[in-house]
Formats: sequence, structure tokens, C-alpha cells
Amino acid sequence: MADNQQIKVLLAKKKIDVHGRGSKLIARELQDAGMEVVYFRFGVADDIVDAAVQEDVDVVALSIMTSGHNQLARDLIPKLKEAGKDDVLVIMGGIIPEADYPTLDEAGVHRVFPPGLPGSAVAEYIEEHVGKLALP
Amino acid sequence: MVEPNERFREAKAEWEKRRARYADKLVPRKNLSGLPVSTVYTVEHLEDQHLEEMPGVYPFSRGLYPDGYALTPWMQQMVFGYGTIEETRDKMEKMVAEGMEGYFGHKVFNVVYDVPCMYGVDADHPEAENNLGQCGVHMSTGDDYDELIRDWELETTNFSMITGDNCLPALALLVAAAERRGEDPAALHGNSMNWYPRIAVQDVPSWEPKWGYALMIDLIKWSARNAPHWNPANIFMYGLSEAGASPVEELAYGLAWGKSIIDAGLQAGLDPDEFIGRLSFQIGCTQSLFEEVAKFRAHRRMWAKICREAGATKPSNMHARVHVHTSGYVLTQQQLMNNNARITLQALAAVLGGVQSIHTCSYDEAVAVPTEESHRVALRTQQILMHEAGVRDVADPLGGSFYIEQLTDQMEEAAWELYEKVEASGGFLRGIETGEIKQAIDDSSYDYKQRVNSGETPVVGVNMYASDEPQDYEHFRIDESIEEKARNRLTGYRERRDEAEVERALDDLRDACEAFKAGERDLMPALIEAARRGVTNGEMMVPMREAFGWYVSE
Repeated sequence: MADNQQIKVLLAKKKIDVHGRGSKLIARELQDAGMEVVYFRFGVADDIVDAAVQEDVDVVALSIMTSGHNQLARDLIPKLKEAGKDDVLVIMGGIIPEADYPTLDEAGVHRVFPPGLPGSAVAEYIEEHVGKLALP
Repeated sequence: MVEPNERFREAKAEWEKRRARYADKLVPRKNLSGLPVSTVYTVEHLEDQHLEEMPGVYPFSRGLYPDGYALTPWMQQMVFGYGTIEETRDKMEKMVAEGMEGYFGHKVFNVVYDVPCMYGVDADHPEAENNLGQCGVHMSTGDDYDELIRDWELETTNFSMITGDNCLPALALLVAAAERRGEDPAALHGNSMNWYPRIAVQDVPSWEPKWGYALMIDLIKWSARNAPHWNPANIFMYGLSEAGASPVEELAYGLAWGKSIIDAGLQAGLDPDEFIGRLSFQIGCTQSLFEEVAKFRAHRRMWAKICREAGATKPSNMHARVHVHTSGYVLTQQQLMNNNARITLQALAAVLGGVQSIHTCSYDEAVAVPTEESHRVALRTQQILMHEAGVRDVADPLGGSFYIEQLTDQMEEAAWELYEKVEASGGFLRGIETGEIKQAIDDSSYDYKQRVNSGETPVVGVNMYASDEPQDYEHFRIDESIEEKARNRLTGYRERRDEAEVERALDDLRDACEAFKAGERDLMPALIEAARRGVTNGEMMVPMREAFGWYVSE
């Protein structure tokens, strides 16, 4: 992607999740880093794919509070590919045990972030990898 | 002000001499609420009022009870709930065996529902998939509630039901279960959360504000007249603090939340002494130890004043009864075991602050639902405080401390200022509608995060002493067969009931919702009737959604 183009991020929470502090913070911190953030809450995998296509985003970021992340990744990644979004960067963050990171990696999630990190760490990762990784 | 004597003045002059060399190098400190903190407090900070208070006496800064925890200690109310009622039932029995107790040895079950139940869908609903029984128990049918109360004596068992929008249906299902056992609902003890106003800060879709408040009051009114021991509403200050409110903001907005319930109750024609005394609180607690102690002290006397002004006359109806849930937000995924120290500090602050009930988080809640072991350690943390540390021997042990008394006053003053601002602009309900409260708390959350990012607010293991070493721990694994089991329980229940009767019950409930909206009748009796006729949690929520709307606050 060209340097002068603004990176567009879909920040999604899955359907039936609760608490929004982490996701709202990361939305604001990514905006601080100059990105455009579409804040999308409470979608099932299909809704998230539709939003990603409609908004033509470069990144899909999933915020997790009440688990179900493995299943969401397994549902979402093939659907993104089917919808022609094979080049979208998919990241996850929140209450996710480290032991599940390899499973998510296998499902095609590019990177998982633990809670509490500065948003700039996530922004740097996005800047470095956006447009360069394909979905498996 | 208390007049310092000559010997104090001499000591203070000596003190000034001894620190003169470095005093101007000391960096001024602020607490989490942004209030300035001095390095030393003295008799000069004592006011006459600090010398005039006793525990158990209005305005209750020093505690609700004359002898603190001496007669009976705080309630250990650990949150739990997982899988179907079968798994949760096992856990209830285990927790009783582990010594989890309420006042005078009563049983206390602080049961959290899964998100599908809170949101109001049954196990076979497509949106429930992958969420069943995961972060709470899935409890929806008459069978489930019969199993919940089986063999527990209603007079000595407290059922706290951590519900969402299903708050009214859940109580209706509990009442119907008690009746099936041949008992009067008046024997019920426990809590409905009635957390509708939390939509001010939590991004969960819920009822439209007007109906949200009407439903909340309907439950309060039913309880006041039918189940006098039932606590019908919990003022969820914890939700405010976890969303990012500072301790002073938590006080101000939380008390405004409480005031909005009082106003709505009075408007609905309830008598102040009929319902105000049954309102209670759940409050957050961070590890800012002294600030939190001062917060609990200030909270009690502010609430007492609000209740008295609203017309409550019995002193016990001015009691701010408080359950503390230690903070989940401050737990770190990095270096997980460190969280045990944080949890201990928070629980200590709650005890020194004189609260009535505590849930201690488990150290691994930063990564998943707690394991058996981490949950037990959290309970034992309370029990060590209760039995080993001597902290329950003396009521309000920090009362009279120059610092704590001064800080209590400062917290109170700052909180009143913000509270008055909310009240002057139309109160908490209006603050939900305009989004002002959410905006203010989001801003505080952002400021805090910036301070953590910059290192100004230290977080051990995150912005200092960080480590790249991978952690080795066993985390709780969700049993995927739970989903199937929950669906089978539901199917089994539906097969045994009279479907035609359920259809008629749902038609009646639909009419009742409309009549309730028109101000013609109360809703709780209609929900209880539906529960008696076999209607489930998710089924009751369908006509309710149709009638009371769908509102997402932004």
C-alpha cells in the first residue's frame, strides 16, 4: 500500500460479547496513530465479513472479552477469503490465553495481542505488515 | 478545626528543619482521582466532625454496624457459574464445602448467567452458539430453576442472580420454582441486579431508556410488596469503575445512578421507607489502597445523606450496603501470578473500608474463566484476611487517621461537586440519553491508558520489569459438549410441557406488556404467571423485546 494512503481498520467485537473498555481504547489509539477506524460491535462472522467488504478495510481487528475466539477465527477466515478479502490483515486482542495463540495462528490470524499494551505497539505492527500478508 | 498545642508546634518546627535540605526536590503526588497527596498529615488536618462519629451511627462514615465485623464478618460472595445448572450445582456444593459463607453462616450464591441468557436467547437460538455456558451458567427453564434451589433452605440461602436484560424473567422463574416447592416468595433472600442504567457506560444493547427504568421500578415495586427480604436493585458502580471512571467519578456517577432509582421509585408512588433501604451497591476496588478506603467511607455518608433527604426515616434505610468486586481491569496477563498481590491489596482495602461483601477475582481472569484452583486461591485470600490477619477485630481501624479523615473529606467534596453537576443537568437518566456520562468516563479511561503507556503510572510486568519469557500455566478449558447438553436440557423440557398452554401464556404476556406500557398494570405478576405455565427465559424475552425496543447507546 502506498505510504500516503490512510490505513483503514475494522475494529469488531463478536456478537454477544460484553465490556468495551479495551476495544474503545484501541480504537482511539489507532486513530491517534493516523488510521481510520470503523468501530463495529456485536457481529457474527457473516456481519463482520460484510462490513469488511463494504468498508473496504485493510485490517480486521477483533476484540475478545468473553471467549469464543477459536471458533470465531475458524468461521471468519474462510469467509473473508470467500468474499475476496485474502489480502486483509487479521489481528486479535483481549482476554485470550497464550496457549491458544498457536491455534489462532493455524486458523490464519496474523497476530494476537495481550491486553494492556500501548496502542502504538499494535499500530506499529499494522504499519509494518499491512498489505504484505495473505490469508492462508 | 482541632487546635494544635504548643508541643505540636515545636515538633513541626523541628520537622521542617529536618526536611529543609531536600523538601523542594520532592515531586508532588496525586492519587488516581487526581487529588493532591501530601507526604505528611497532622492534627491540623483534623476537623471537629472527625471527633464526633461512631460506627453504626448516622452518617455511617465509620461503618454501618456498631462493632464492625465483630458480630459477623463480611460475606464471601464469590461469583461463579459455568455450563448448565448441573455443573453449577456441583460448584455450589463445592463452594459451601470450601467454607464460603454469608452473614451468620448463611449460604450465599453469587451466580452469573451466560451471555445468551443475559441477552435473552435460549440454547437453541443461532446467536447462542459458541457462547452457551461459557462465561456463566445457562439457566432458562423451570427445570433449571428447580435444580438451582433444590435442598437449599430459602430462609438461610441468598441467591444473587447476575442477570442482564433477563432480570425480570429470571426473578419470575425463581418465584415460580419456590411456589412449586410449596413455598411463599416472601421467604426468598437474594438480589436482582436490575442493572439497566449500566448502558450509560457499557456498550450493550438494551431496552429504550424510558422502558428500562419502568421495568426496573416494576421489579422493585413487586419485591417491596411480595418479597420483603429480596434486594431488588444493585447500583453497579463497579461497571463505572471498570469502564474507566476514577474513584471520585465512580462515587459521583454511582450516587447519581442511585438517586435516579430513588426519583423513579418516588415518581411511581412508592413510599421512601418502602424501597430505599433495599437498594444496594456493587463497587469497584483498585489497589490505590488508601484512596479506596476513603472512597468507601465517603460513599456511606453521602448515600445516607441522599436517602435522608429523599425521605427515608429509619436509619437502616439510609445504609449503603456494599458488595466489592475487586478490579478485573487492573489484572495483567503479563506475569500472571503477580495478580495475587493485587487482589490481596484490593480485598484489604475493601475490608479496611468496612464493606459488607466481597468477591475476590482469580489471578488468571486476565486470560480466561478461572480454574478450580485459582478460584479457590481467591476465596482463600479472603479467608486469610478474615481469620489470620486480625483485620476484622476493630471497626473502622483507620478512622481518626489524619490522612484517611482528610482524604475522605476530599473525596466527598470532589464527588459532591460532580454529582451536583449531573443532578443540575437532569440526572443520571438524562446522562444516559445524552451520552455525557459515557464520554466523561471514556475520556478518563483514555487518560489512564496514556499514563500507563508513558510510564507515569507504573504497572509491574507491563511498563516496568517486563519479560519476554513465555508463561507456563494451565488455563480453564471450556468443555465443548456443554453446548449439546444445554440444548438437550431445553428440548427435554419443551417435550414435557403443554405447548398449547405455553402459546396461550405468551399471548397473555404480549397483552400484559402492552397494558404495562399503557400504565394499566404491573408486569412482574404477568411474568410470574408465564413462568408458572412453562415459558422459558428466552421465550419471555420475545414479547418484551417487541414491546420495549432495542437501544444501543453510542
